[in-house]
Amino acid sequence: MRPILLAGHERALTQIKYNPDGDLIFSVSKDQQICVWFAHNGERLGTYRGHQGAIWTIDVDPTSTILASGSADNTIRLWDIKTGKCLKAWDFPTAVKRVEFNEDGTQLLGVTEKRMGHLGTIVVLDVKIDVEAEQSDEKALTIVCDESKATVAGWSYLSKYIIAGHEDGSISQYDGKTGDLIYNIPIHELNQPITDLQWSQDRSYFITASKDKTAKLISAKDLEVLKNYPSDTPLNSATITPKKDFVILGGGQAAMDVTTTAARQGKFEARFYHKIFEDEIGRVRGHFGPLNTVAADPTGKGYASGGEDGYVRVHAFDKGYYDFMYEVERERQNRLAAAANA
Amino acid sequence: MATQAKHDWADDEELEEPTTTTTTTTELPPPQKIQNKDGTWTIIEYRLNDLGQKVKATRRIRYVVRREVVNPRVAERKTWAKFGDSANDGPGPAHDTTTVGENIIFRPSVNWRREAKDEANDPNAQAMKDKLKDKKVKCRICNGEHFTARCPYKDTMAPIGEAAAGGDVAAGMGDDMAAAAAASVGAAGAGKKGSYVPPAMRSGAGGAQGERMGGKYGERDDLATLRVTNVSEMAEEQELRDMFERFGRVTRVFLAKDRDTGMAKGFAFISFADRDDAVKACDKMDGFGFRHLILRVEFAKKAT
Repeated sequence: MRPILLAGHERALTQIKYNPDGDLIFSVSKDQQICVWFAHNGERLGTYRGHQGAIWTIDVDPTSTILASGSADNTIRLWDIKTGKCLKAWDFPTAVKRVEFNEDGTQLLGVTEKRMGHLGTIVVLDVKIDVEAEQSDEKALTIVCDESKATVAGWSYLSKYIIAGHEDGSISQYDGKTGDLIYNIPIHELNQPITDLQWSQDRSYFITASKDKTAKLISAKDLEVLKNYPSDTPLNSATITPKKDFVILGGGQAAMDVTTTAARQGKFEARFYHKIFEDEIGRVRGHFGPLNTVAADPTGKGYASGGEDGYVRVHAFDKGYYDFMYEVERERQNRLAAAANA
Repeated sequence: MATQAKHDWADDEELEEPTTTTTTTTELPPPQKIQNKDGTWTIIEYRLNDLGQKVKATRRIRYVVRREVVNPRVAERKTWAKFGDSANDGPGPAHDTTTVGENIIFRPSVNWRREAKDEANDPNAQAMKDKLKDKKVKCRICNGEHFTARCPYKDTMAPIGEAAAGGDVAAGMGDDMAAAAAASVGAAGAGKKGSYVPPAMRSGAGGAQGERMGGKYGERDDLATLRVTNVSEMAEEQELRDMFERFGRVTRVFLAKDRDTGMAKGFAFISFADRDDAVKACDKMDGFGFRHLILRVEFAKKAT
């Protein structure tokens, strides 16, 4: 496969998101700029200007109308995807590290940083998916994380729970309506922050990546660890591929240590694991720095990775990827085909 | 016009001289587009470079029309006007933001680690380097700390202990030589390290098991491999695999393809895990109608 290199950012990438149809890619970086690209050929559709600080996070609503971004300038902003216009800005006392729309796009959650005497919080905002509509200023809900600050968070199926990953390696489950803490379970190693949390397509389970060099597949309902993917490097991001049962992990040595290591030793590769069998099945090279974010195309045709080197690499899978099956999978498929014919 | 019509590359070379020396306003020949026999196109374009020289660029490309049905929302988004920093970009990817990277071979595989072993050898090389790091360079002529070739006495003095057939070099090889002598009496010429030893005499092999060519292919079991000929041009490896898997576990399918067009060349090799399955498959599949052709299946002959 020949990856498409997108060079729209001047600093390290922080997050990449596909829209649900898989035709647009949104990328944000520390250079205060949001870019949107066509996934099929890497053409840049536009940029969204307005943030005054590094942008940490981005999310797109289910209808691909409105974009939400969270930045180190202490704001969450909403944007009109089509025109690039800023529709709304909410101010917070500290930086915003993560935003995510719920499944039906009616609410937006934001994770704010713990800093300057302020505790880390998870805020929920009511959002109207309409470019013309007036957005409300009030927060629908505020969850304060007084033990360990949240680094990532997301909405489970039907917006039933809010799941948050913490700096101390634990995962909490909050009620999506009231914000009450239901569970807090230490899942990753103590004091190894959770760096990413991405959902399966039906949002019944999710994958977490952590600095403790593992990624874990966890069910949303009872926070049970379903699968564990150990690697040999601190992880920054993990995603689940649709169509094929794989997961993609991205990581690498922290940026500050990179200059002392060769590219090969830095382990700047996207790692593919089989979701069920937990085996590593391959790696994809390319970045000159750690991978900060990976995102899978919702149509299952490819994935994109963003690195500390400022590049986004968009990969379209080729035939070998689709053909790959374990021997048991192949036998099962043959058996089913035989049964269908009989 | 008539001269341009029968332009070829040799003429062009001649033309190059005067154009560069005179002016940059010379007419550029019109771009040519020639269809090749194998369905590819050759596009020849001329342009002037920064120095005013005429540059001829020949590209060989193949058009592949890929129709894709997308949902109307996606189609509508493709017509959106560009905005922000991209507002002034023309249609299609802009060169300053979008480039195509080098080809990456990504083949998921269960024994991925084993295949990556080659790279794991690198640390060994590194270890060797580390080991040699604190060895000092020593001249064989004057024992100084420089290479023998750089020795100031190179032309005037003979190496130390040359007559005694030793010096530190040979001394270091002492054990090696003893072992070699013990192992292979036949290797008469191998007495002196570094001298040429024919492959057949190396490491006491007696010439029986020389290194075979072709590396990893040498180990393949040809006994359970079938050669399939008269395969349709449109065939896919997966189809063949499906057809032959009915008879037993297929370990390898190789379908020869044309490098340029991607069409099958008309023959394939199928390896089975078990020879009995291969015999069965050979029996059953010889004369089998696949696509519009009748397959011919036989056991592959060992490559000699």
